[in-house]
Amino acid sequence: MSHANDRLFDHQQAREWKLKKSRMKRDKRMPLSDAVAEFVEDGDSLVETGFAYVRGPMAAYWEIGRQKKKDLVGIFTPGGMNSAWHEFGGMEGCHVAYVGVEMRGLISPFRRGVEAGTLKVYSEWSHGGLALGLRAAEQGVNYMACKSMLGTDIMKTNPYIKEAQDPWTGEPVCLVPAVYPDVAILHVHHADKYGNGRIWGPAVNDTAIAAAARKVIVTCERIVDTEDIRANPYQVVVPHYVVDAVCESPLGAWPGEMPGLYYFDRRLQERIVRVDWKTAEGTKAWYEEYILGTKGQFEMLSLAAEEEGIHPLEYVKELENLACDSAFCSLGSWGIGGGRDWKYEEVAKRAI
Amino acid sequence: MNDVQASEIQYTPRELLACVASRLINDGESVFVGTGLPLVGALLAQKLQAPDMMAIYECGAVDPEPRVLPWSVACSWTYHKAPIILSMSSVFGHSRAGYSDVGFLGGAQIDMYGNINATVIGDYDHPKVRLTGSGGANDIASLCERVIFMGLHLPEHFPERVDYITTPGFLDGPGARERAGLLGGGPWRVISHLGVMGFDEETCRMKLISYHPGVTPDVIQQFTGFELVVPGDVMETPKPTEEELRVLREEVDPNQLFVF
Repeated sequence: MSHANDRLFDHQQAREWKLKKSRMKRDKRMPLSDAVAEFVEDGDSLVETGFAYVRGPMAAYWEIGRQKKKDLVGIFTPGGMNSAWHEFGGMEGCHVAYVGVEMRGLISPFRRGVEAGTLKVYSEWSHGGLALGLRAAEQGVNYMACKSMLGTDIMKTNPYIKEAQDPWTGEPVCLVPAVYPDVAILHVHHADKYGNGRIWGPAVNDTAIAAAARKVIVTCERIVDTEDIRANPYQVVVPHYVVDAVCESPLGAWPGEMPGLYYFDRRLQERIVRVDWKTAEGTKAWYEEYILGTKGQFEMLSLAAEEEGIHPLEYVKELENLACDSAFCSLGSWGIGGGRDWKYEEVAKRAI
Repeated sequence: MNDVQASEIQYTPRELLACVASRLINDGESVFVGTGLPLVGALLAQKLQAPDMMAIYECGAVDPEPRVLPWSVACSWTYHKAPIILSMSSVFGHSRAGYSDVGFLGGAQIDMYGNINATVIGDYDHPKVRLTGSGGANDIASLCERVIFMGLHLPEHFPERVDYITTPGFLDGPGARERAGLLGGGPWRVISHLGVMGFDEETCRMKLISYHPGVTPDVIQQFTGFELVVPGDVMETPKPTEEELRVLREEVDPNQLFVF
């Protein structure tokens, strides 16, 4: 079995893999636990999608933790929450463009792992540089020539990128190879049962990642009819033929943000970053309570709500009410009833 | 009486920083905005002298009309009413094409040539502190026309040379950016809680432009890990005006997410 890094830039092997994937329109819906069990394998490279904690597939990441996957290689563009798995053997190394939570600072498990040498950093990137690597895979070119990263220490601490001369002008350019991650999990607003997935808000790198990754799991807030998607394909970021599994996962981006539907759980995120994950022991206790001690998003959310002394339904309502409302217009234009036609409170009532 | 009142305007160091930052943005400019205080400075400029300032965020959002201060550079408020949302590679592509005038950044360390470190403190292979990594900072500083850095002013944050160059300034001095193949004018202003710095045109070394009220050039030198160029025309940074503070407190950051 080759190391994930040997597959990461192997365009021929990636093509052979994709040639073998079925194009049949079959119902790919399955429980999230089944999808993670089947398609996230020990030793895989796992690329982060969305923008870390905006439209990130958090439910799937927690499920990866629950199933105790081993030796994953993270691709953080940007990323963070997955970096905690190395403290439980779940991640052995990573490729880093960014790991952190912006103004709220560093992610302690990542810091501890890299400083202690237990989490390897295989390469440093800029966001734009790694975005181009994924884009190269989508565009079907071997590499991209760009003007980022030149002259800096990133060039010395990334064995995959190269400085070269532009053959026309002779000026220095940075060559970024096409990147082919083993597995990507994309969280979208709507998907049909075949895997066509659409979003509101920025795709970030997701259209590129959908084409680049060998295995693709789509998790969605809601399953919709395929005719609904075909009537308006403009916000589709992932087409069915790249998708291996479709999982309905309401509140799947929690405690992150899902544009237009619910806002960041700022309280919980602050607590995780500043308190719960501050020490290795704290992270372990959190992992046992929140990940191993729960079965899914609603159990986990109920736990978070109870610790704050708030009823889970109130907790959900609060996140929902904070959502940036401009998304509603967009959702309406998709022809699903002139706006959001469901409430998480209702979904939560059934689940809790 | 009015003069006395004016001199008694109270503000926090972060409020001063936000006001100073906002003054550097002209109307009609496109500004690539990083998280935190740069975000506050850019939004303040838009509500004051630069209504047609166009904000760009690395998640792909361009020219939004946020009603609430975004919590992140990918938060929904960064694309509230945005006319277009690009992908990450396209938004940097637009910068390379020449559509980004100003880049607005933070970071852990900045050196005398304006190089920024956001990767490691100490040796790369055995870091004392592992930081976040570049994010979009390297691209912003490689591709935008002029770059503004904001940060806390302590000797360890302003070393002679950074431990790791994540984001290019003038690298090792005059001509180095051109030799490396970088675009744009490089670092332009550094706003710290002590003063405003620029860069000497000939030597590319950091120079003092103004010291904040209550601070002297000597103090700034003491808190800087290398010798600052101090030209004869350094001045005191103008204090925040009542109007700036009112807009900042009431319209930009009413919940005091960033300016406290």
